Amino acid sequence: MSEEFDYLVIGAGPGGYVSAIRAAQLGLKAAIIEREHFGGICLNWGCIPTKALLRSAEVLEFHHHAANYGVKSSGATADLPAMVKRSRDIAKQLNQGVQHLLKKNKVPSFMGAAKLVSKHEVQVTDKAGKTQHLRAKNIVIATGARARILPGMEPDGGQIMSYREAMVAEKIPSHLVVVGTGAIGVEFASFYRALGAEVTLVEMLDRILPAEDAEIAAMAAKSFEKRGMNIRNKAKVSGVKKSPQGLEIMIETKGKQEIIKASHLLSAVGVVANIEDIGLEALSIATETGCIKVNAQCQTNIPNIYAIGDVTKGPWLAHKASHEGVIAAEHASGGHPHELEKLRIPGCTYANPQIASIGHHEESAKAAGYEIRVGRFPFMGNGKALALGEAEGMVKTIFDKKTGELLGAHMIGAEVTELIQGFAVAIGLETTEEELMNIVFPHPTLSEMMHESVLSAYGRAIHI
Amino acid sequence: MANPERVKASPLARRIAKTNGLDLSQINGSGPNGRIIKRDVEQAKAPPQQKPTAAIQHGAQTTTQPEIMPLDGMRKTIAARLTEAKQTVPHFYLTIDCRLDDLLTARKNMNAHLDGVKISVNDFIIKAMALALRDVPDANAQWGGDHILKLKQSDVAVAVAIEGGLFTPVIRAAESKGLKEISAEMKALAGLARDRKLTPDQYEGGSTSISNLGMFGVKNFQAVINPPQATILAVGGGEERLIPINGQAVVANMMTVTLSCDHRVVDGALGAQLLHAFKHYIETPVALAL
Ligand SMILES: Cc1cc2nc3c(=O)[nH]c(=O)nc-3n(C[C@H](O)[C@H](O)[C@H](O)COP(=O)(O)OP(=O)(O)OC[C@H]3O[C@@H](n4cnc5c(N)ncnc54)[C@H](O)[C@@H]3O)c2cc1C
Repeated sequence: MSEEFDYLVIGAGPGGYVSAIRAAQLGLKAAIIEREHFGGICLNWGCIPTKALLRSAEVLEFHHHAANYGVKSSGATADLPAMVKRSRDIAKQLNQGVQHLLKKNKVPSFMGAAKLVSKHEVQVTDKAGKTQHLRAKNIVIATGARARILPGMEPDGGQIMSYREAMVAEKIPSHLVVVGTGAIGVEFASFYRALGAEVTLVEMLDRILPAEDAEIAAMAAKSFEKRGMNIRNKAKVSGVKKSPQGLEIMIETKGKQEIIKASHLLSAVGVVANIEDIGLEALSIATETGCIKVNAQCQTNIPNIYAIGDVTKGPWLAHKASHEGVIAAEHASGGHPHELEKLRIPGCTYANPQIASIGHHEESAKAAGYEIRVGRFPFMGNGKALALGEAEGMVKTIFDKKTGELLGAHMIGAEVTELIQGFAVAIGLETTEEELMNIVFPHPTLSEMMHESVLSAYGRAIHI
Repeated sequence: MANPERVKASPLARRIAKTNGLDLSQINGSGPNGRIIKRDVEQAKAPPQQKPTAAIQHGAQTTTQPEIMPLDGMRKTIAARLTEAKQTVPHFYLTIDCRLDDLLTARKNMNAHLDGVKISVNDFIIKAMALALRDVPDANAQWGGDHILKLKQSDVAVAVAIEGGLFTPVIRAAESKGLKEISAEMKALAGLARDRKLTPDQYEGGSTSISNLGMFGVKNFQAVINPPQATILAVGGGEERLIPINGQAVVANMMTVTLSCDHRVVDGALGAQLLHAFKHYIETPVALAL
């Protein structure tokens, strides 16, 4: 008889490893199973390596614009293999960091693919095909998600890429067509544009960044075009012709056909949850639109089996996965964790310019029946932004006219991904415009724009 | 007067309370450490009053018009939970009579030695039920979907009627508490319930519940289980009855109780065992003190 764990986690992404560590902190006998890489997509093929690449692009652009700052610099060029190596090294370092954290918290890890065989038992098959069975009181499914593949756009290891191939490319594409303009699509578009590739964004809906506030998305589109990207909205890829010379991508825009000649295509049309081959069917674990169905405590329809992160309904974000990991661990240990409110999860896009947002955007606030007040403050009006040479961007705030509740905040421009947390705290603590107006923001900082945006919603902005 | 500074509430909750004329000290906080947050105030916000209908304004048919009463948060919770309980918990009922004479004498003697607190019959019932659960541990359990959760102490919930509904605060580990302690705790919890100030840790969980309608002249009734608990004891009023003892009609103080059981957890024989243990403690009050 194998030993029994209190808490057994399948998948060591930011959902799974955080959940296992939290469970161990709470005194549960926790263990984790991973088939491929500690840290999941996030550390190995997602959040972190892309941010490392984008930093390289930023450094390159600094050099290109050095003269604007009174610095003579010439001959800066992109060394893509070195950029990729740096990105992979950072991923590796963090991967080892996760293993270290698990050890430190005395969470044993098992390498192999896991499959539920009963409510309390998991079968683990290692690379050599050897199997073992683990028993647990509670089981957490944190198997994450993978790139959605559309027919005709299957990654081929060369011209057609998913995010995985785009992250370790050997050559800068001469012309990259990015299909899908969510965060992942526009981040790679920004990266390769900075490296000199011609870039075309293809979006099926009527605008890029469809999840963002329309005004912010429009500013992003304008900025991308200024940087030389091409954008096709309401556009569908109707076919891809491959030849050794390159790709011919057929695009249908508002009934019109167009053929785009490109060297590469990046398919960034979202993700699908990893729900196959993990034993869901045998246990009749309920799914909904391809994701595992869970309640507010992250329990599936089988109470001792939890599911967290990308394998459940979105948003598909690492911090959402980790937060759910904590909720599941606290619930399994008998606690009463607070519920995760989806409108309080910030989202960040690390394109150039950056985009960060939380809560309702203008359209959704109106659709939800709120009467709103909107504040706006441009980077142009901020001293620190000008000193940085980053005069492009805006901070937008949306308040409930009746109660002063901060319903949402949306930003575009330099470093806004570091700013949004200020509003996340404000929303989490349920501050109103009054407290936000009374808070002292340090000068000179970009954060002053957050203050001014709040003031502007109430007709009190000073520097505009 | 409560010190208004002492109420913990988010700025947004304060704002909404103020614009709606709500008293924060009357609202339960569900945030960290009982902090009142937006959700709590919204729940407490009386639903908008129905405007008087045209007919009423014209003075016609005023008394015969049915009136729509919007549901408040408590009514919604009661409706949802009890519907779920009655539809998903397989109830069955066991009824037994208990003789109260010894208990009433014991109570009189005890109260004569106490000033201030007065121990009620209900306090005896709480203690008797707690000890019965201790003695019949298989009945001290909750239904957990794919398992049964066996509890290690007797957490006895007591239904407290309040204006517009009821609460069921829980006396934790009642088997280990004296009657005096139970009495004082019950008084405090009932007060908090009436002020709607119970916090979740004061009403969640529990092994069983006691619902006592004796003071309304009810002789016997059947109560709906409060999940995840497995049983609830419905207590009727004490009254003098003629009962036969050794062929003689004797006047005795009697009380009828009915135990509702969740059949998934407690089978008939087990329920009967629990009820007998309860009866034993009621009829032999010295055992309560052991
Ligand atoms: C290019 C890219 C950029 C991104 N950038 C960001 C960003 O900037 N910010 C952000 O918040 N999010 C970002 N994301 C999303 C983020 O990576 C995911 O939301 C996050 O990784 C989800 O965490 P998870 O733990 O649910 O799943 P994952 O990270 O996918 O981890 C799941 C783990 O489970 C393992 N596994 C799966 N099946 C089994 C099995 N049967 N047995 C054992 N192990 C199994 C997998 O190997 C994997 O390690 C990005 C994603 C991509 C692709």
